[in-house]
Amino acid sequence: MTISPLELLLLEMASGFYLGAFILYLSEILLSRPPRIPWAPVTAGVGGVLFQSLAIFIRFGFQGHVALLSLREVLSFFSWSLVLTFLYLEHQKKVRILGLFIFGIAFFSTLMVIGISFRAPVLSSGAPIGLLLSIHTLLIDLGLASAALAFMVSILYLVLDHFLRRKIFNRFFTRIPSLETLDQLNNNFSGIGFVFLTAGLFFAMIWSWEKFGRTLPLASQGRLAFIGAILVWLLYAMTVLVRWNRRFRGKQAAYLSISGFLVFAATMLVLAFFSKGSHFIL
Amino acid sequence: MIKITLAGVNHKTAPVEIRERIAYPKESLSSAVQSLAHQDSVLECLLLSTCNRVEILTITSNIHPSPDFFTDFLSKTHPALTSVPLRPHLYYKTDSDAVEHLFQVTASLDSMVVGEPQITGQVKESFEICRKENSVGPYLNQIFQRAVSSAKRVRSETAISHLPVSISYAACQLARKIFQDMSNKSVLLLGGGEMAQLTARHMKKMGVRSLTLMTRDPAKGEPLAAEYEATYAPMSRLDDILSEADMVVCSTGAETYLLTVPIMESAMERRGYRPLFLIDIAVPRNIDPEISRLSNTFLYNIDDLRSVVLSNQKEREMETFAAKEIVRQEVAQFEKWRAERSAVPLIQALRHHTEELRLAEIDRFSRTLDGLPDEARKQVLLLTQSLMNKMLHPTYQTLRNSSNIDEAWEWITRCYGLPPEILSRNGSPENISPKEREGKSVLDSPLSDLPLPGEQTC
Repeated sequence: MTISPLELLLLEMASGFYLGAFILYLSEILLSRPPRIPWAPVTAGVGGVLFQSLAIFIRFGFQGHVALLSLREVLSFFSWSLVLTFLYLEHQKKVRILGLFIFGIAFFSTLMVIGISFRAPVLSSGAPIGLLLSIHTLLIDLGLASAALAFMVSILYLVLDHFLRRKIFNRFFTRIPSLETLDQLNNNFSGIGFVFLTAGLFFAMIWSWEKFGRTLPLASQGRLAFIGAILVWLLYAMTVLVRWNRRFRGKQAAYLSISGFLVFAATMLVLAFFSKGSHFIL
Repeated sequence: MIKITLAGVNHKTAPVEIRERIAYPKESLSSAVQSLAHQDSVLECLLLSTCNRVEILTITSNIHPSPDFFTDFLSKTHPALTSVPLRPHLYYKTDSDAVEHLFQVTASLDSMVVGEPQITGQVKESFEICRKENSVGPYLNQIFQRAVSSAKRVRSETAISHLPVSISYAACQLARKIFQDMSNKSVLLLGGGEMAQLTARHMKKMGVRSLTLMTRDPAKGEPLAAEYEATYAPMSRLDDILSEADMVVCSTGAETYLLTVPIMESAMERRGYRPLFLIDIAVPRNIDPEISRLSNTFLYNIDDLRSVVLSNQKEREMETFAAKEIVRQEVAQFEKWRAERSAVPLIQALRHHTEELRLAEIDRFSRTLDGLPDEARKQVLLLTQSLMNKMLHPTYQTLRNSSNIDEAWEWITRCYGLPPEILSRNGSPENISPKEREGKSVLDSPLSDLPLPGEQTC
């Protein structure tokens, strides 16, 4: 599979816009005064997401299906959904500092998308890609994006908690939203991530049932990926379920979200580089 | 020529013995403005009087009033300053320095607490008093509008007013770093000290859901609680209220810790480990510092809050560099307007003079011109007019952009042989149109619309 020149150009344009947004958000933090053009970074982000939307549209059209089969596609859809979620969040809650992380990640992700070869598959089913598998990949990637957002707000939570305890009052401190806001966002993203992850796994199980007559497909590769997937699901299940117990909040929830995302990301990397996309275990 | 002069006494130049009686009594402010406006050569004036400063800005023609003029005026009109030697404490600024100073004052860059917002309102009030007393004209209007505009820019383009510099306000700002929405939060005030009262006032402004005041003595606590629309609770209910409160402000005179680790552990368990913000402004301290090790509790004592204030003050000082740059830009804009405005009488005089010369020449050639057909005569008249305008246009432009209008007046008088009486007539306040008195510059209109001397503007 090759990348078309138009898709490449669109991705380059998107990464340029993301870099612009990242620099603008960074300057907001480094310069203490309020920004002269507060809408500039958001506008750059919107520009980037439009170009990337076109690139994704072309990719899906080129493939003939909407499944995310390679790390390149996973990263592209991941950064796109991250930016879209942030733009919505910025409109609703004004968590500007998150823009710094989102656009930083989006920029590097699109750079990687441009640079990575297609020989890093995250899914090799050995069968034609149907609707169930397509939905599975999209939902899992959306779950990964939610986990990344929960990870970022959790990091911010721990940083602010540290600043408040150590009495550090710098420019970064003034830009971080309140602990309560961050905790609530962590709760929301973890919950959404859990729903996507569960639904994604559910679709994979239906597909496996249809194809092999069992919900847990077995094969000689992918043991680590399978363990990772189960671990991620358990971590998120725990995060969501123990949130119902009111004692579990703040720092503990932040630590759990951070570990959840790290295991999630590691699982995706294992799938791409060690299992060669195979989801089957012995 | 128009001269701008400012003199005053403020917290930087005068000791507290003078400052404490420096503000004009409200009832005598209007009469003081009237008295100043009736002084010889004063065309416009502004009198700013606050608890930290008295400043007088005058617009005069041709000469700057001396510093003694201001000290004499203050001694005569201020009942409490009659016997005080003000001269050593008086600062005296002229033209752009005076304007820059007033802009800095309005933008709160010259205040005791840099960035405090009241001063802009005080300048507006003073201007309003002067406007009512008819001591305001086009120059003061322009200065005032630009001063307020620069103050607005300073507040919106720098972080100078965003950082709290009072301990009670800093405590409230810190609360905002922990809680997203204060409208569903409860605050417990342990003790009714001055700082706790100030914090309560700020908390009320922030719209907290409920305030509870707890003191040992109900006779003192209940009236205080009523004053701040708080609920009074006896000390015996401490455990119950701690489990509900989101913020605790301690300022009792107790010699021992009122809140200890076991008390807080139990309270945190009952409150489901929701974050709790504790402020201990009592000396000796009322809260065991070990509490800060508990999860989701944030404890700040008086020294911690002071360090917040100090850090904010430093940030504000850093911001003053940017703020002063904004003020300089606004002063430059005003100076440009002033240069253009100062050139108007000279341009009018020059137009009048050259027009007279043109008409005289036409008159001289009237016999020849009368012999021409009507259309040709009209064309010749238009030609002379157009020629004059084209020749004088660069001169007008140079005058408008001239930084030294005094020198320009001298040169133009010499070069064009202007009669001196025309010039003196143009610099007088009678030539200021009603439109200009309202603060609208005649220079906003095209040059050709400018009236000739003696013509009525409307």
